[in-house]
Amino acid sequence: MKYLPTIGIECHVQLCTKTKLFSEVDNDARGKEPNSCVSPVDYALPGMLPRLNGEAIRLAILAGHAMNCKINPHSRFDRKHYFYPDSPKGYQITQFYHPIIGPGYVELPSGTKIRIEHAHLEGDAGKLTHFETYSLVDLNRVDTPLIEIVSMPDIHSAKDAHDYCKELWRLMCHAGVTYGDLYNGNMRFDINVSLAPEDAKELGTRAEVKNLNSFRSVERAVTYEIKRQSKLLDSGEKIIQETRGWNDAEGKTTGQRSKEEAKDYRYMPEPDLPPINLTEEFIETESAKLPPMPSDYRNKLRGILKEDILEILLDYPKLMQKISELESTSTISLIANLFTSVLLAEEKSAEYLNDLPSAKELKELAEMNEKKELSSTATKEVFLRLFDPQMKNRGAKNIAKELGLIQENNLDALEKIVDTVLAKPETQKAQTDFKAGEEKVIGFLVGQVMKESKGKANPSTVQEILRKKLS
Amino acid sequence: MDIKRENILHLASLSEFSLSEAEINKLGEDLKDIIKYISQLDQLKTDNVEPTYQVFEMENIWRNDEIIPQDAEREMLLALTKEEQDHQIKVPKVL
Repeated sequence: MKYLPTIGIECHVQLCTKTKLFSEVDNDARGKEPNSCVSPVDYALPGMLPRLNGEAIRLAILAGHAMNCKINPHSRFDRKHYFYPDSPKGYQITQFYHPIIGPGYVELPSGTKIRIEHAHLEGDAGKLTHFETYSLVDLNRVDTPLIEIVSMPDIHSAKDAHDYCKELWRLMCHAGVTYGDLYNGNMRFDINVSLAPEDAKELGTRAEVKNLNSFRSVERAVTYEIKRQSKLLDSGEKIIQETRGWNDAEGKTTGQRSKEEAKDYRYMPEPDLPPINLTEEFIETESAKLPPMPSDYRNKLRGILKEDILEILLDYPKLMQKISELESTSTISLIANLFTSVLLAEEKSAEYLNDLPSAKELKELAEMNEKKELSSTATKEVFLRLFDPQMKNRGAKNIAKELGLIQENNLDALEKIVDTVLAKPETQKAQTDFKAGEEKVIGFLVGQVMKESKGKANPSTVQEILRKKLS
Repeated sequence: MDIKRENILHLASLSEFSLSEAEINKLGEDLKDIIKYISQLDQLKTDNVEPTYQVFEMENIWRNDEIIPQDAEREMLLALTKEEQDHQIKVPKVL
C-alpha cells in the first residue's frame, strides 16, 4: 500500500551569548574543563534564583524575524519537570504556554514553504557520558540558552526534511544567533515521522527520533523510519508511539522508551521569572538589526553567480557578506570563484574565514586580473597571500610586485624580449620548423620567451607577437 | 478526587523513588488531604479571570550579558556530590 509520510521537526539552537540563560557564567565551554563553567544557579543549590539574560531575548527576536515569524509581545517561562542526572533542578525552564516566537515560515531553496508553529526559549541540559557501570555528569552545558523551533507537519519526504534542517542552519548562522557548529551540537534535530494511507484525513501514529546532529543523519533516519513503518503497516501491525534512538554506524533506529505524556511533565508557571513584555517599538528596533538573509542574497546574485557556487557560498555567511561589499559584476564573480575553488580547498580555510581581506584589497586584485596584469595562476597565488600572516594588509598590488608576478603587457618591452629569444642559436631550428608548418613548436618558443621574461610576460600576447614575426 | 495506588506508583516512577507498602498508603492519604484542601478553590467562579502567574507586578527583569567571576569554585561544588571522577559527578548508569 502507498502511504503519505508526514514529518515534523523540532530543532534546538544554542545561542551564542557570552553568558548562560539564567546565570552570569561563561556560556562558551569549548575546550574547557568539565564543570568549570558552572554557577550555584546551574548547580541548583537551594535558594538560588535564575537571572534572565537580556541578550537571549534579543537573539530570539532576530531568530524569529529570520523565520518570518510573529514576535509575541507577551511571553513567560514555565517549569517542565523530569528526573534525570543531566538536570540538577529536576525541571527545565522553558516556555510552554507563552513562547516568545509565534507562527511563521521557512522557504526552502526549492520554493517549498514549511510553516513554523512557534519557537521558544529554554535552558539546555548537562552532558552525560556513559561507561560500563556508571555515568559521568558535566554541567557546563546546563542552561546554555536554546531556542526550540517547532515546525508544522508540512514535510513529506526525507529530502525536504534534509533541506529544511539545512535552511534553518543557514538562517540561524546568517542571523548571527549561533556559532552553528553542528559537530559540537550547536544545532540538534528531533524528528517525528508518521505514515497514513494517501487518502486518509488523519495522521498516523508517530515515532520520534531524537538528538540528530547532522542533515545527513536527519535524511537517513527519516528514510529508515518510512521504510520500517511501511513494512509494519503492510503486515497489519500497529505503530507504537515511542522515542527511538538513531544508530549512525548501523543506519537504523531502535526503540528506547515509550513517550512520557505532556501531563507527566507537570508543567507549571515559573514563579522566579517575571514575564517578558515587549513594546512594538523594541521589537521593531531589534528586528531591524537582522543582517541580509539567504533569500536576499539569492535575489541579488542569482543573475551574476552560478547556482551551485551561490549555494556553496550561502553556507558561509562571512564570505557572503564580503561578496556583497564588492560592486562590479565581474569582481563579484571572480572573487566568488576564488572563495569557492581556492579558499575553501585550503587546509586552514576555517582559520582564514575568521579574518578575511578587506573589500578594497579584493577589488584591487580583481582589477589587476581584469587588466591582465596577473595571470590566472598568479591571481590565485596573490589571493592566497592576502591571508598570509606575513603578507596580509600590504595590498594586492604590493604583494604582486614583491613576488614579481605582474605580467608584462607592454608591447614594446615584449617585442624586445621576443627579438632576444629569436636571436638565440637554440631557437633557430624551431623557427625553421614553424615556418615549414609545424604548428606545435610555437609552444616551445612561447616557453622560451616566458623564461626570458622570468614568467612575467602575458603568454597570449607573446604568441601573437611570435606569429606576426614568423609569418 | 480519588487517589489510587497506581497514581502514587506512577508519580514515584517519574521521580525515580522506590516506596515501601507503608509509604504508598501514607502518601496516598496525604495527597488526598492536600487535594481536598486545595479543592476549596473550586467554589470560586473564575470564568472571566486571567490566570495569575505572579503576585508581584514586575516585568522584564533582565541582566546584561556579562561574565561575572563566581565565588563558588568547581571543587567546592563537586565536594557537595556523593562521588566524583575526573572533575565530573559520578552517578549510577542511566540510559
